[in-house]
Amino acid sequence: MTRAKTIPELSRRGFMKGAGLVFTLGAVGVASVTACSPAAPAPVPLDVNHWLSIGADGVISIVFPSTEMGQSGYSTLPQILAEELDADWDDVQIQQLNKDDRRFGNPLFGGVLYTAGSTGVQAYFDPMRRAGAQARDVLLQIAARELGVDKEFLATEPSVVVAPDGRRLAYGDLVEVGLEGVVVPDADVVRLKDRSAFRIIGKDLPRRDVLAKSTGQAEYAIDVELPDMAYGAVLRAPVEDERPMRIDDAEARAVSGVIDVVELPDGVAVIAESLWAALGARNLLEVEWSESSPARAFNSADTLQQYAAAAEDTGASAAVWAENGDALKAIDAADRTYSQLYLTDYAYHAQIEPMASVASVDADGQGVEVWAGTQTQSWTTHTVATTLGIPPENVRLNMMTMGGSFGRRTALVQNYVRDAVLSSKAVGRPVKVIWTREDDVKNGTFRPAAAQKVEAGLTEDGKLDGWYHRVATPTVIGFFNPVRWDAVRPNDVISMRGAESKFYGIKDFRADHVITERQARLAPYRGIGAAYTSFAAEAFMDELAEQAGRDPLDFRLDLVEENLRGRHLLEKVADMSGWRRRGDRALGLSFAGYSSSMAAGVAEIEVDDSGVIRVLNFWAAVDAGLIVSPDNSHNQIEGGIIFGISSALSERIDIENGEVVQNNFYDYPIARASEVPPIEIYMADVDAPPTGVGEVGSPMVSGAISNAFYAARGQRLRHMPFTPDRVRDALGV
Amino acid sequence: MTKFVLNGEPVDVANSTDEMLLLVLRDTMKLKGTKYGCGAAMCGACTVHVDGAAMYSCQLSLGDVEGSEVTTIEGLSEDGTHPLQEAWVAEQVPQCGYCQSGQIMRAAALLSEIPKPSREDIAFYMSANLCRCGTYNRIFKAIERAADEA
Repeated sequence: MTRAKTIPELSRRGFMKGAGLVFTLGAVGVASVTACSPAAPAPVPLDVNHWLSIGADGVISIVFPSTEMGQSGYSTLPQILAEELDADWDDVQIQQLNKDDRRFGNPLFGGVLYTAGSTGVQAYFDPMRRAGAQARDVLLQIAARELGVDKEFLATEPSVVVAPDGRRLAYGDLVEVGLEGVVVPDADVVRLKDRSAFRIIGKDLPRRDVLAKSTGQAEYAIDVELPDMAYGAVLRAPVEDERPMRIDDAEARAVSGVIDVVELPDGVAVIAESLWAALGARNLLEVEWSESSPARAFNSADTLQQYAAAAEDTGASAAVWAENGDALKAIDAADRTYSQLYLTDYAYHAQIEPMASVASVDADGQGVEVWAGTQTQSWTTHTVATTLGIPPENVRLNMMTMGGSFGRRTALVQNYVRDAVLSSKAVGRPVKVIWTREDDVKNGTFRPAAAQKVEAGLTEDGKLDGWYHRVATPTVIGFFNPVRWDAVRPNDVISMRGAESKFYGIKDFRADHVITERQARLAPYRGIGAAYTSFAAEAFMDELAEQAGRDPLDFRLDLVEENLRGRHLLEKVADMSGWRRRGDRALGLSFAGYSSSMAAGVAEIEVDDSGVIRVLNFWAAVDAGLIVSPDNSHNQIEGGIIFGISSALSERIDIENGEVVQNNFYDYPIARASEVPPIEIYMADVDAPPTGVGEVGSPMVSGAISNAFYAARGQRLRHMPFTPDRVRDALGV
Repeated sequence: MTKFVLNGEPVDVANSTDEMLLLVLRDTMKLKGTKYGCGAAMCGACTVHVDGAAMYSCQLSLGDVEGSEVTTIEGLSEDGTHPLQEAWVAEQVPQCGYCQSGQIMRAAALLSEIPKPSREDIAFYMSANLCRCGTYNRIFKAIERAADEA
């Protein structure tokens, strides 16, 4: 045997990590023992490293390690690898990673398979580039041997090695030749392309899934269909932590097509031959629920009052989230001080695909195949394995493209997946469980309610002199992922992001997290903490500017003297919006961002005494480092801005006696086409690592709108969302 | 049995006449392109054409379409070459894509009613459908592109 068709697991790991491994017959021999039968080594593609494999037909398979929810990582991440491999993009097949294989883990989440926080490109940019470059180097070595030309004289064009004399060897042809004698370069030091040589990164390749999504052919978890599959609808406990105590299912079982009624830990599932039968029978269930849950005392109106008191009470204990200099001392000594309180309600993700999952538990109960759309292979595997008490390796996942998510499907334990698994186990058939919209709202996991006190000092000549931001909100991580909370406590980035105001250079700065009692089910939400901390910070920044007698733009420009990229964005958005000559147009400025991505935005609004705010225009200048897919980035940022407009104007969840008050889109309105303004986006062209585009569009928006409202009507909005009743209150009409 | 024409073909469906049309289309006729989003006539993910008009299939029962012509996204074109679908690809409209079948069906009904719609016409008409990813401005552009090319 002379051809290295496979590389053993052990060696493959070494391959990435690197250091001068030489592949010889010996290594291949190990492979043949573990991977193929010695008698008939099947032709296997060249597994160049664990990220990709190249077939003799020239097809290049690249692993997509994240999951797809509309952010287009599915196209973008493989493009990064294809760039350094110098692959012809048309030769690339994308392989969804369908297991909790930590070799592909997200470096920004400790190696967990986790698609969140706009981290995809940021986290995988370097490793996927290196994987591609490493493979390209190997292909060059093989070609050098075949052509009898020193590797240094060879070049690549898309999927082809080219020799100085014009001879060409397609990547697929090199696969046949084998790895013998190849020295695998260390991925950490392998040579990467110069930006100027990019053919894929920074270009607008059509996204792979657009045609399927324009023809109804894209398959989501809710669409999966298996032979002999049954459907489940779940009557869930009305309040968190309640359980079914007595179930009268006689009428439900009498419905034609009903197979079984299954008691779940937090609900009752009706399993039927059709969803229609399951939903109809569910309506006939009579269930007595336990009434012992402390959550029955949860009332969002009281919650917000408690949080406000905690934000105001400077004696309340708090975890320092970010600190620079001595904010309290500076404020104490300042010529003037100013403070305000900002409130935000719970908000719901409102992804248009409701929770759905299909499970098919093996007859022996020791294994299961699951189809689900979630943001994490790791925690979905965890959910399924712990639900059945089976080893994680017995869980066979199919990660489906999601009909939106925005943080909805991130939890350590995913009850919508558990529902399907327990239902399938009970009836011995594959079961698809679908939550109705009402199920999803009533059992939603929300962006937390928050009360924020921001306090600052001003010098006599109107300069900022100390900033103290107290955020009273629960820990989100402590609820949706207690394991992670144990590791990071008391630092909760989900609850607090944005409060660090890191894009400003504030000499004496402090942000505290007053960790309040959780009084709702919580989850990460597009923009996480910045969805509300940036509202408070940017609304307050405008109030301070007014106190200082300064223009909001000038006041901010003073604070970005050392952040030249940020300064550029503020100046740019001022140009775009005509800020300096705005006259009586109602413009509002905001400068926020997400992680290390920055955005300056200007909203133009109109509002009359009806209290309905109409956003007429939105301009944004964004710096997200290097942009891999410009057109998709534009789409993401625009979507983020619209998400921000929607959150700012209408989105509000209330809780009464532990029950979610809202039901569906008729009482939880989200932005519609008629409410969307023209949006102009400028993307800074910078030579810096990519920092993510999925969330950077949202955090600036609410501050810009509230500041524009002040320009329009001379009143401040300090409680988000700015619903018409609150606007009318502010106007005194 | 309920007889109607589905994507150009006569069909005869045995389901209960009060079953939600959306579920009949998805689970009995196996046409998964039409989506469930809210069941309350609020999101439009389930939009189909009934005798050429855009309707929420979550608000119709099977019996309601007896004798009608029903068109789903699968019947809009055989191979994704309807001018709106081509415009959707050209403008790279979808993000998650879940609402887009409904958006395209709504847009197709708009263009058959108003072949050259103004931006205001489009915004008004398309407000029957929700897109949580926020692709509305691209939807506008794609509809205008399709209208221009028609």
